[in-house]
Amino acid sequence: MKKFYVGVAIALVLTILAVLFVPGVDDFVEQTFQRYLGRAAR
Amino acid sequence: MRIFKNTVIVILCLLLIPVTAISTAAVKQRFADGPNFVFSGGPLEAGELYAGAEPDWSFVNDIPTIEMQLMEPPTSRIIWTVEHNNKLYVWSGYMGTRVGQMWKQWPLQAEEDGRALIRINGIRYERQLKRIQSGPELAGITQAITAKYPSRTTSEAVESGDVWLFEATPRD
Repeated sequence: MKKFYVGVAIALVLTILAVLFVPGVDDFVEQTFQRYLGRAAR
Repeated sequence: MRIFKNTVIVILCLLLIPVTAISTAAVKQRFADGPNFVFSGGPLEAGELYAGAEPDWSFVNDIPTIEMQLMEPPTSRIIWTVEHNNKLYVWSGYMGTRVGQMWKQWPLQAEEDGRALIRINGIRYERQLKRIQSGPELAGITQAITAKYPSRTTSEAVESGDVWLFEATPRD
């Protein structure tokens, strides 16, 4: 499990960096979230 | 039991990744000049501040969305708009659902403090949001809404509180 936790921690850091600095990733995240939110609100 | 516990931990950890992505994107947008898609943006800073006579708002009927910022809190969002009898209207749907009420905070905030800044085509307009819940003009406004958007907004939905409708009046 320890390796799994380390892997998750690395994935979280990479996710944050990608959303902050990779062009288009924040848009993709937001659009995907909007799709699910709209569906849930109906 | 141990397998069950580990499975739950793995699922929760994997769920953390999309939750982190969404939270990061939301926080990032708060520092931007204006909104993007669904997350609130920061204050509308760029663009000339309109001064002069009340504009002919009919041009907004050719614009799919506008950016709107409240003064308190100073956050902005993308919003649908419509013109009717040269008055500008904005609204929020889903207000009758629990998810909608959690998602849409701005109508509640606008009811408390209606001062708003609207940016259209790079020009910022100072407005005052006034909620409309009933009245003879409702039919015409909702007709304008459904003619412009794939929306099922009706006068009854506005009167029942499922849709919160605001007129964006000139600010005194």
